[in-house]
Amino acid sequence: MREVALASLGCTPVALTDLGELAQVIWTFLSLSLFSLGGGNTLLAEYHHLSVEQFCWLTDAQFADLYALAEAAPGPSSMIVGLLGMGAAWKEGPLWGLLSGFGAELAILLPSTLLMVVACLSWNRLKDSPWRVAFERGLGPITLGILFAVGLKILTTANHGPRAYLVSIVVCVLMLRTRISPLWFMGLAGLLGGLGVINR
Amino acid sequence: MTDSGLSPPTLASLAPSSDVTLAPAPGLRELFIGMLQVALSSFGGGLSAWSQRIVVEQRRWMTNEDFLTGLTVARLFPGPNQINMAVYIGASFRGLPGAVLALAGMLLVPFSLLMLLGLVYFQVHRIPEVDRVLAGVVAAAAGMALSMGFKILDTYWRDPVALGLAAVIFVAMAVLHVRLIPLVLVAAPLAMAWYWPRTPRPGPG
Repeated sequence: MREVALASLGCTPVALTDLGELAQVIWTFLSLSLFSLGGGNTLLAEYHHLSVEQFCWLTDAQFADLYALAEAAPGPSSMIVGLLGMGAAWKEGPLWGLLSGFGAELAILLPSTLLMVVACLSWNRLKDSPWRVAFERGLGPITLGILFAVGLKILTTANHGPRAYLVSIVVCVLMLRTRISPLWFMGLAGLLGGLGVINR
Repeated sequence: MTDSGLSPPTLASLAPSSDVTLAPAPGLRELFIGMLQVALSSFGGGLSAWSQRIVVEQRRWMTNEDFLTGLTVARLFPGPNQINMAVYIGASFRGLPGAVLALAGMLLVPFSLLMLLGLVYFQVHRIPEVDRVLAGVVAAAAGMALSMGFKILDTYWRDPVALGLAAVIFVAMAVLHVRLIPLVLVAAPLAMAWYWPRTPRPGPG
């Protein structure tokens, strides 16, 4: 069903076995790395665009699932890139999926890591520079705008129907007002989904 | 402070660390093992608090001031904050090799686990029962995504220019579908020019 829907949109999945395509994919992740402001979550809308709309590796539902997996699993949630990479090569087999997942994660981390090493070594000179101050103050509001856009994108990608939206809004409020671990919310909502209360 | 298991630990404001004797600078092996320990301890959340507890209090690699400086740098530069923090800790002691080893230590277990989860997911996600549970989980996760912007909104509440800028960025992305890289390349220089630090005027205050 989903495959048919994709084909009718004229979106052909990018094959990672084609070296030219592979290079383009790697380049895309490498260049995005330096734009992961405010802790990496700012890239989520871009990840969605790339893996669902541009490269056609995943459906909307799969993307939402992988986002939830990355949030639920221990460790930095930005590791979602590894899952996207796995989805990209899954049709070639699990081993390709693993390789591709590892490669995608490496590509997204490499540039920001190198920059961070340079930043650590030159921090004493950087910290009082007007460039640093302007960067910090100026990029803050940009990050704020991006995070709202990202939140909306994930919300509309994940949810179908008023009950799902209601759950999202309740979880959002609880995230802001309480310090309860979000794993509880995901577990409870999963139960509601299993019982058929939340559909998609 | 008790960890109820319900909520992850928070960053502690430690006593001034002038009276603390630091341990000798860690080697590559120690950096790897130390960050592995941080990653394993933080399985319930609160990664920065755990890394503070282990790096500053237990292993005494750096002072709390140095640790907090690291958080500032990690938040400022592109890249996931916790990953940048591991890079900062590694690079402070052993340069690039230290950064790589610290990063590997931090990511080894969680990333392997995530890949395992992914392998399972792609095998089973077409099963209707699994899909129904995931439909619920995803709605909760979307609520978490929605809360990210609100979490930092307070910081900018009294700055109308910041709110206006954020609104323009939001509309550009969510309504006009402008892609992130060109958007940041245009907006960042303008924002930096507006927020360029002005030389303080001489006078009282």
